[in-house]
Formats: sequence, structure tokens, C-alpha cells
Amino acid sequence: MIDLKDVRKHYRSGNLKSEVLRGVNLQVKQGEYVAIMGKSGSGKSTMLNLLGTLDVLDKGEYKLAGKSVHKMSRGKRVRLRNEEIGFVFQHFQLIPNLSVFQNVLLPLTYGRKRLGKKKARVLALLDEMGLLDKKNQKPDRLSGGEKQRVAIARALVNEPGLILADEPTGSLDEETTENILSLFDRVHEQGATIVVITHDQEVADRAGRILRLQNGVLV
Amino acid sequence: MKLLTAFKLACFGLWSNRYRVVSAMMGVVIGMFAVIVLTAIAIGVKDTLMKQMGSLGAEQILVMPGRVLDTANGQKDLLSGLTSVPSTLTYEDAQAVENVPNVKTVTPQLETVNFVEYEDKNVQSAIVGTTDQYSRVQHAKLAEGRFFTKEEQQAEAKVVVVGNNIHDSLLGKNEVPDAEEGSSTNVVESKPWWKRILNKILGEEVSAEETSLVGKKIMINEETYEVIGVLAPNATLGSSTDNNVVMPIETALTTTDMKNLTKMIVEASSLDVVDEVDGAVFNALAANHSEIDFSVVKQDQMLGALGKVTSILQVMLVGINATALLISGTGIMNVMVMSVRERTREIGIRKALGATTFEIMMQFFFETLLLCIIGGAVGIGLGYAFIEVWNGNIEIFALVLPMWAVKLALYTSIAIGSLVGIYPALKAASMKPSKALRFE
Repeated sequence: MIDLKDVRKHYRSGNLKSEVLRGVNLQVKQGEYVAIMGKSGSGKSTMLNLLGTLDVLDKGEYKLAGKSVHKMSRGKRVRLRNEEIGFVFQHFQLIPNLSVFQNVLLPLTYGRKRLGKKKARVLALLDEMGLLDKKNQKPDRLSGGEKQRVAIARALVNEPGLILADEPTGSLDEETTENILSLFDRVHEQGATIVVITHDQEVADRAGRILRLQNGVLV
Repeated sequence: MKLLTAFKLACFGLWSNRYRVVSAMMGVVIGMFAVIVLTAIAIGVKDTLMKQMGSLGAEQILVMPGRVLDTANGQKDLLSGLTSVPSTLTYEDAQAVENVPNVKTVTPQLETVNFVEYEDKNVQSAIVGTTDQYSRVQHAKLAEGRFFTKEEQQAEAKVVVVGNNIHDSLLGKNEVPDAEEGSSTNVVESKPWWKRILNKILGEEVSAEETSLVGKKIMINEETYEVIGVLAPNATLGSSTDNNVVMPIETALTTTDMKNLTKMIVEASSLDVVDEVDGAVFNALAANHSEIDFSVVKQDQMLGALGKVTSILQVMLVGINATALLISGTGIMNVMVMSVRERTREIGIRKALGATTFEIMMQFFFETLLLCIIGGAVGIGLGYAFIEVWNGNIEIFALVLPMWAVKLALYTSIAIGSLVGIYPALKAASMKPSKALRFE
């Protein structure tokens, strides 16, 4: 599913050049559940941005579902992101003035599926997440757990091959964390490939494989 | 398809932020309101002046006090003669002009301000001494009674024709200001517009035991005059006859201290001889005057000068409108730039979920465009309502709103929306999703 070869990424701040990723190699198979751990500043977020095509690598190769992402135009990367990748962020990243239904519908708005199917798909997912009765509510009326369930529903709505989660339980209490992790387990059992970026050992332990990012390389 | 999606998202974006949108729109609303109203005022003033000047008739020549200078290209610079100058024109001048060949009529006018008394009412008015031709050359129609005749004029008959406001004021139909305080010529005030509307709604018409002054005696400067006619309402810009009391010029010369003419309207016998008469009138007057302290102006010269004045008015209008639109456009752009900044994270989320740069750009572009179009339409609507209220209640001159001005205002709001929408849209579209998502 994912194949990274000698991926490098640096950022510039004035005259300072900071090497964040220094030759990362990673292979993730279809249906695998992988956790990437690392200290703050180790390059976890950069890694997620590259995997999610939100940023471009400086050097190396990145293949996703057999497609060479590093050679793609911006438009093709956007299409790939919309169709193949679902994001779950630490701070939920829901749009506050959209309802739960509209937030979940958003990836389909930018996709190519027919509207009739889109609505049915959103409602089915909200039902599955136990959020059907909240579909018209705005995010600020929801609890942290409910917000993250909306975010997961949004990540799944396009039936992507890859779920990328960045500290998905970072803003949640213990009980809600467990509920969300169980939800990830269920999604994984249904065949999704999951890559979780976390610094929480308990979250990482739910994955089939744990990788550590140190000084810009995976160990 | 992407355009349609962006348009729908823009509509939804505006609806979601409707309270902020209303405040942002105020700039365009006020700008467009100003454009519509100012345009209507400028065109209304121009139309009214043109109508009045045009009503002189092509064969008419105006003689007025003061010297109008010639411009470099030989045209009369009427703007140079618009300042108030003491008149040296006399009734003898008018009689001299009557003897000029091909002159059909001469209508001299003497004007002064005095109090008119009827029973316990005392109203300040403009006393006009003129000939029996006055109502014809001044287009002053009679509401009732008759105008004085040539015979009455020559016999120095003490008869007057009163303007509509004076008539109503003397009968107590209008509010009469305190005569002791009245120092300006515009003393006779009609009821305020809101009172007239209220009266119409309540059906309260003035109960007039006396409905007409025709046949009654009034006092001017301790002399008694018989009212023989009442002029119809004629509230036009600058030359209203509503506050006039018109009497034969011979009567005015003997019973008042008026000596100098305020103007003289000369009619040529035909259009073909207007130029010839123009020169002859000038020569006849010049023979009576030691210096050229009067002006002889043909109608086409008056219209030319008026065109110059209205052109200046239009240039000013364009400047004011452009300033109003620039301010409102800049306001909208600032609001949209702020909106883009506030919604940075939203833009990041949308991009992360598959929105293309083009879709984000078009969403924000359409938001600005719609804001300007809606604001423009509201401003035009308010302007139109203002014009309707004005025309329904204010008689001094009518505001004129041509369809081209409405179209121009609407197209301008679209153009402004398109222009000022580009920068915020590009700003939104150029954001990197990874950075936008981290925006606090």
C-alpha cells in the first residue's frame, strides 16, 4: 500500500536549514495497522503530511497503491488524496459552521460520486457511528468523543484505502480514548490500512506494528 | 461542475456567515445608494434646468443686467455673468427695444420684495411688475381668474395676479411665518411633506370658508389692489412663480420704488431674424448706456452655457461616485481578506479533504462577487425608494433615475465584486494545506 524509499525533507527558516526527514524507508502492506511513534519534533507530523500528500518530499520515492506520488502533478495528488486517503486529526478539524452531516459529506462534495449515493453513504456512516440523531447539529454542540467519531466518519466516507491518524486520542479522556481505539480496530477489521502517528504507547500498542522516528529516520 | 460546486459552497458560505455578511455588505449598499441618488439628483437638476431654459423658445432673446464675457472661441461665457450685479436696465430701455425692427414683443420684469396683507394675514412675497405677455413667456398658467390686459397695464390699474403659495397663505391654508422675523424672500413656507402626507392619510383637508381671493382686495405698501387671478402651482427650480404677486409694470413704476429691470424677454418676429434682432437689441441698449453693463443672450447660448454647467456637475458626479465605489470596494476586499485569514484552518481542512486550488479560489471569488451583487441590488432598491419618496413629496425639482443608471450601478457592483474578489481568492487558494491546518 505504502512504499517510501530514502525520503528526505527539509525546511528553511531564514538562513537556517533544518533536515526533518533524513532518508526514511517504509513499506506498509494493504490492511496493515501501523503506529509511528516519536518525540516531539522528531518529524512525525512531516511524515504524516508527506504520506497524506499535503506536502511534497525533497528527495526519494513515494508510492501509494502502486502510484508514484512523487512524480504526480498537484491536481493528481489532490485527486489521490480525496479518493485514497482519509484523515483523522488530533483536534478533529471539523468546520464549525457546517452541521455534522455537512462535515461528513465534505470529501464527497469534492469527489465524483453522484449526490443520491453520497447522502445515503453519509447517513449510513453516521448511523454506524451512533451519530444519526446529531446529524443536524453543529460541532460545538458535541462532546470530544462525538467530534472524533464525526471526524472518523468523514475519513471513511470516501471508502479510502488508507486512514492516516495524527494523535487521534490526544484531546480525549481515557474512556473516550478506548471507544475511539475500538472504532479504529473495527475499521481495521473491515480491511482498511491504518497509519497512526502518536506518542502514546497505549495507542501504539493497538497497532500490529510499531515504528519509531528518531532524528529523521525510522528505527 | 467544479464552478457549480464552488458557487454552491460560496452561497452556503455567505449564508453560514450571514451576520458578518450583512455588516460587510453595508459598504456596497451605501455606495450604490449614493451612486443612484446622486445620479438622480444630477439628472433631475439638469432636466429641470434644460426644460426651463428650453421653454424660452428659440425665437426669444434674454436681456439681463451685468456683462457676459466672450470666450476665446467667440462663445458667450454665461458663467461670468451669473454673479449678482446691480441692474441699470430701465423701462425706457424696454421701450427702446420695442422700436427695434422685427421685434414682436418685449416683456420687461421689475422685481422687489414686499409684504402683502389680507385681513389679519401678512405675507412676504416677490412683487413683479411686467406686461400682459408675462403669463405666456413665463409659461405661468392660471388656476383661476384672469391675467391683466394691455389696457389695464396702460391705465396703471391696481390689479394683481397672485402666485399659488401667496394665495393659500393669505387664506390661511399654509403656515405663515412671523412677518417681523421674515427677512429673506423665501418666507412663505408650505407645510412640511410629512404633514401633507399625514393630512392626506387622515383625510384632513383645509376647511376653507374662503376658497378664493379673486375679486378681493389686498394691501401692498399701503396701496390697495384687486386680485384678478391666481397662478397655478409652478414649483420649479430657480424660477417658481408660486411666491410672486404680479402687477402691470406701469402700476409698479408709479406705486412702488422699483425702477430697474431684473430682466427683459425679447421675442423676434421669426426664427430667421433672431441673429439680426440680437445685434439690433444690443445696439439699441448700448445707445442708452454709457458702458456695456448688460447682456443680450440668445436661447441657444443659454442652453450652451447650461450644458457647460451640467457637464461640470456630471464630472463632479463621476468623481463622487468613483470615490464612493472605491471606498466600498476596498471595504469589501478588507472584509474578505480578514475572512480568508479567519478561515485559514477551514481552507486547510477543505484542501486536505480534496478541494482543488481552483475550487477554493472560485468559492472565495464567488463569495465576494455575490456580496457585491446583493449589496448593490439592496443599495439600488433603497435609492429607488428614496427617489420615489422624494418625488412624491418634494416639488422643487424631480429626481430622474434612467434605466441606464440602474444598469450601470448593477454592472459596476459586479465589476467591483470581480475586481476586489480576485485578491482574497488568490490568497485563499495559495495556502499550503499542511500550514493552514496548523493555523491558530
